[in-house]
Amino acid sequence: MNHINAVTLVIVLISFLTVTLIGFASARWRPAEDLMQLNEWGLAGRGFGTFVSWFLLGGDIYTAYTFIAVPALVYATGAAGFYALAYTIMVFPIVFIFAPRLWSVARARGYITPGEFVRGRHGSQGLGLAVAATGILATMPYIALQLVGIESVLTVMGIGSTTGNAFVKDLPLIIAFGIVAAYTYLAGLRAPALIAFVKDILIYLTVIVAIVYIPGRLGGWGHIFSAASTHLKTANPATGKPYGSIVVLPAGEWAYATLALGSALALFVYPHVTTGVFAAKRRDVIRRNAAMLPAYSLVLGLIALFGYMARAVPAVNADVKANGGNAQLSVPALFAHIFPSWFAGIADSAIVIGALVPAAIMSIAGANLFTRTIYKELFRPYATPAEETRVARVASLLMKVGALGFALELNKTFSINLQLLGGIWILQTFPAIVIGLYTRWFHRIALIIGWAAGMTYGTIQAYRTPGGGQAHFGASTAPVFGHITYIAIAALILNLVVSAVLTVVFRKIGLQDGYDETRPADYLADPVTAPGPVTAPRPVATPSAP
Amino acid sequence: MTQPAPVGKSPVTWGVVAVLLAAAIIGTLWVPIYARSRPALGPFPFFYWYQLIWVPMTAVLLWICYLLLRTKRT
Repeated sequence: MNHINAVTLVIVLISFLTVTLIGFASARWRPAEDLMQLNEWGLAGRGFGTFVSWFLLGGDIYTAYTFIAVPALVYATGAAGFYALAYTIMVFPIVFIFAPRLWSVARARGYITPGEFVRGRHGSQGLGLAVAATGILATMPYIALQLVGIESVLTVMGIGSTTGNAFVKDLPLIIAFGIVAAYTYLAGLRAPALIAFVKDILIYLTVIVAIVYIPGRLGGWGHIFSAASTHLKTANPATGKPYGSIVVLPAGEWAYATLALGSALALFVYPHVTTGVFAAKRRDVIRRNAAMLPAYSLVLGLIALFGYMARAVPAVNADVKANGGNAQLSVPALFAHIFPSWFAGIADSAIVIGALVPAAIMSIAGANLFTRTIYKELFRPYATPAEETRVARVASLLMKVGALGFALELNKTFSINLQLLGGIWILQTFPAIVIGLYTRWFHRIALIIGWAAGMTYGTIQAYRTPGGGQAHFGASTAPVFGHITYIAIAALILNLVVSAVLTVVFRKIGLQDGYDETRPADYLADPVTAPGPVTAPRPVATPSAP
Repeated sequence: MTQPAPVGKSPVTWGVVAVLLAAAIIGTLWVPIYARSRPALGPFPFFYWYQLIWVPMTAVLLWICYLLLRTKRT
């Protein structure tokens, strides 16, 4: 393998150039009165209706995680990797419940990020900072996962993998990422929103063709499942245990459920998802989309099955083996061996563009967080909207550089761990954001200490977990009270317990509460027009007398 | 800038919505109900087709909840 197929390469290049043009042209899509408002650059003017939001959120939530990481896990370990389907099923009821309230309060108060909401709701600059910093930290490995996805496609296409020089090897990836950074810088959220249309059409096309065409080529689903089953029963020479199972075993049920639930709860508080939610025009758009987005989950479930299809093709197994057992190559290799070259090009383009869109949204979300909750809050409270936008643009570039660091540093064998590691961190902001939507019972300082406890425990536990041939950060599940559990859930419970106990203590000793700048009606608001451009600096909240 | 909050729905409506949403989450959260290979649907073990069927079911449940909670704009 790894000889370059000219037809495939040309089609991928044409697709990439097309979306690049769309990306730059998108600056003029739904033209803003003033693009130098963070509302415009960072949320595309908060004007997306049901249709555009469906593509944007779909483009946002379903990433290289869906196209590369999940099928790789299914390819290697079988049923355990299917937790991702359960996760993307339960995430939408969760979005349905919480997102409308968050959208309303953000709309009514002009918040662009969850960090501002937390600062305003709990009257705590420290808590807002904690949420913003966590969001930025957790998003970087998630962007890194997108890079790994693109890299897998390039490797199978034979680009950049033959040389030993790390810089030359990663050069095509760095160039592609640089171009995305350029149009994101220019057009903000409009770029990924418009490119999401191309992405989703390519993805649906690829999945439909694959599901209809591949099983017939491989002798039917019966053969696919039996080939997978035969592999999974084989003992792994490294551990002496079978590679996996075709159905989750009782010992793995707890991990399966906590991974699904933890990922679903975490997804909702990821900055890129709140960014997608905040860009909606009306409150109703969110609920309608929660009911319509599962169409993508069906796609995720079918793509997960590509892992088994890949297992049934001996040439794919040989390719994976030849590349040091990198299971992430299984789906691109499947395309290369089964499809005609031109359609392999379309399918590869779907994966590459499918990784670029969320990477762009994630860097914008991180940039918004940095600008509103860190830069403006700490350094320049009177920054003008134009200054905010300039800072956010530069921050979006820095987010991408940081992600590159994660991608080059951490183990790439199972890139899904990058996403799961991000999940451990981001889930620790759940109490401040989501519980904060309903009640201010928790004391702000208790929430900060609870967050710190969850972050510390989660990071140490993840650090101590070996796997995939490395001693640290090798897996995201660990035994907790005798059950293998997703570390994020264990850390969240610790976080909640610490926050609750300290809240009681702080109330007893009469520690002062923060000032809540939101009003009950804000949480149900559905304003027809977006909040006007911010011209005056926001008033500094002062604690009210108890 | 802010419209008055929409009029609240009856507790019965909220109860129905809560049950439907809980069902949509618990359906795949409770792994022991579907961690088995039979009954198979053609070549698909139960574990796979059960979860795949939950995808459209969740969409339908959420759409019902959306219709129940929808308020007429004045």
